[in-house]
Amino acid sequence: MNDYVFSQLSTLGSSIVLIFGILLLWRRSVSAYISSFRWQSIVLTCVLALIAYLGHDPELYLVAGFMFILKALVLPHYLNQMRIRLGVTREIDPYVNNASSLILAGALVLLAYVITRPLMQISSLPTRNGIPLAMGLIFVGLFVILSRKKAVTQIVGFLVLENGVVLLAALATYGIPLIVEIGVFLDVLMGFLVMQVLVYRIQDTFESIDVNQLNQLKH
Amino acid sequence: MTFFILLLPPVIASILALLVYPYRAFVGWVNAALGLVSLAAALSFAYQAVASGTLTASTIQNAPTFGVVIDSLGLVDVLRADSLSALLMVCITGVGAMTLFLSPGLWHDQHYTQAQLRQYQIFFNLFLASMLLAVSANNVGLMWVAVEATTIFSAFIIPLKLSKTSIEASWKYILICSVGIALAFTGTVLSYFDFVTLSGRAENALNWTVLLQTAPQLHPEVIRIAFIFLLIGYGTKAGIAPMHTWLPDAHSESPAPLSAAMSGVLLAVALYAILRWKIVVDAALGSSYTNNLLLGLGTLSIIIASFSMVLSKNYKRLLAYSSIEHTGLTCIGLALGPLGIFAALLHMLNHSIAKSMLFLLTGRILHHYNTTEISKISGLLKAMPLTAGLFATGILAIIGLPPFGIFISEFLLLKAGFSNGYAWLMGFILALLAVAFVVLLRVLNKMLYGNPPADISAEEPDRTQGALLFLSVTGLVVLGITLPAPLATLLNQCVVIIAH
Repeated sequence: MNDYVFSQLSTLGSSIVLIFGILLLWRRSVSAYISSFRWQSIVLTCVLALIAYLGHDPELYLVAGFMFILKALVLPHYLNQMRIRLGVTREIDPYVNNASSLILAGALVLLAYVITRPLMQISSLPTRNGIPLAMGLIFVGLFVILSRKKAVTQIVGFLVLENGVVLLAALATYGIPLIVEIGVFLDVLMGFLVMQVLVYRIQDTFESIDVNQLNQLKH
Repeated sequence: MTFFILLLPPVIASILALLVYPYRAFVGWVNAALGLVSLAAALSFAYQAVASGTLTASTIQNAPTFGVVIDSLGLVDVLRADSLSALLMVCITGVGAMTLFLSPGLWHDQHYTQAQLRQYQIFFNLFLASMLLAVSANNVGLMWVAVEATTIFSAFIIPLKLSKTSIEASWKYILICSVGIALAFTGTVLSYFDFVTLSGRAENALNWTVLLQTAPQLHPEVIRIAFIFLLIGYGTKAGIAPMHTWLPDAHSESPAPLSAAMSGVLLAVALYAILRWKIVVDAALGSSYTNNLLLGLGTLSIIIASFSMVLSKNYKRLLAYSSIEHTGLTCIGLALGPLGIFAALLHMLNHSIAKSMLFLLTGRILHHYNTTEISKISGLLKAMPLTAGLFATGILAIIGLPPFGIFISEFLLLKAGFSNGYAWLMGFILALLAVAFVVLLRVLNKMLYGNPPADISAEEPDRTQGALLFLSVTGLVVLGITLPAPLATLLNQCVVIIAH
């Protein structure tokens, strides 16, 4: 019974995390991107805490704590600061329009189900039903990066992809060893800071943060 | 202990650069000396490996390790230095020391401001430290963290001189590589998942040595998927086509010493990560799966690189494409059995020496001519005789002419291909290498001869600095004439580790 509830709850949580990822594909304003990411991180924190509690793995509480501080508080704050300083409001005409994006996202989630079938077969964890959803989120994040033009939205796409990997690790293994987890958080933070610095520099030198202006380097 | 002597000097160097404000020339000199300390530690690891004698399948787990037992932190045997690690350590610290001595800010050049020099010293040393950590980590998760850190630290110094092109290159670099590396992490998680499902949670489960022991029992279907993720992920960083698109931009826009380190050793470090995983995956699946993937992507890299070289109008980009080509060659070699692996590793070493030297020289040419366009450069022989001579030597070495090391490694590699029944593929690759050969010789011809443009002074700056590069030339010639016995032992040990 307990396992059943655990399984249902973790699948529900993973679905919500995935939906916040797909939400990016039909929202246009940059602030909506940031708040989707913030909410996704909050739900992800809850999923981690749930797995920590029902899976009896106290280490995951720590990971959930890091997750909350970094991705629900610190990074959204910096992202908002960036949005205000750059004055960008909308992701105007992405490479792929909304309707096609959503259809593609559906296809990506299906693909995730196909790819993760062998994993589902060998796993006996109650959380295994969420694995395809996490893999789907990784693909959706990848798609957001590829199909959006604003540097800020690409960063959000990257962070969403990163969330997908954290979710996958938690669902499939109840979390990777703590030392690696800490290293990953540090890398995400540092990587974000470099990206932030670069975005400001792109803004200063190109007077725009549309990455399709970044086309000077050829041959 | 040796691990500390290896890993701490670059960290100390970075802190020193951080503390001394504004930048002073002595910082650069002290840091270069610290680079030599690291080199000594790497050589000592290589010596230990060679002294341990012939490896067999049963002794490949023996190697110096370092670990601390902290409850629940999983630091058991977290660092490890076997022959393969030692080979890479020597490459990194050797190229690292060379680039540190030839870095801006040590000599009387006025190309950068003090703030830029300080920034350069801080991040370049951290970049070296993270590469060293990547090859000495036994924990594959930590290896991942270190490889990702190399991207971050190098992205800080690509746009050292703020220009539209360097910012563009840096943005593409960090975005594409971070995404690629995230996929590699997914692959790592998938393998860990397989391990955990099999034998339960263990803190040292991400240790390469532990994974290798368990590998024969891992589930083939899962490991297959995991390796695809790992290959795409680390392959992005290694510049394997079709994930190479960031590479020509980043390598051509970086300051010369960073280009040298990126082309010379960073690509090798990423290949090393793939190689570590290939060993585990091969133990689970047999080697034909990874070999076919490496052969396919390696060939694609060589095709794309040689044709991009034909179109290239910028000499730094040209060399960057040449790096992709050599990455492809190394991948193919790694898929060709023991002789091929031997050749591939030797090739990696040769390429490190030759390419780092060439990129350092492009820095001198760029500062003198103020352009990276091939069409605007002529009369190099008259304007900068020393640089011209070294540049010509480097190009002749990189296209695989004797008496330079690359001739030997390419010859062995092709021989391994022919004896493994890949005669057609090898013929095709030989034809592509000929394309690169012609392009590079044509460009060399254009740059060396004729008269320099009127506004270029005929006096070559910083001759002593250039003279240091004779060390690289010596290395290439020695490797082209003979294979020193300790090196042969080391490479053979690596072959045993990879294809036992």
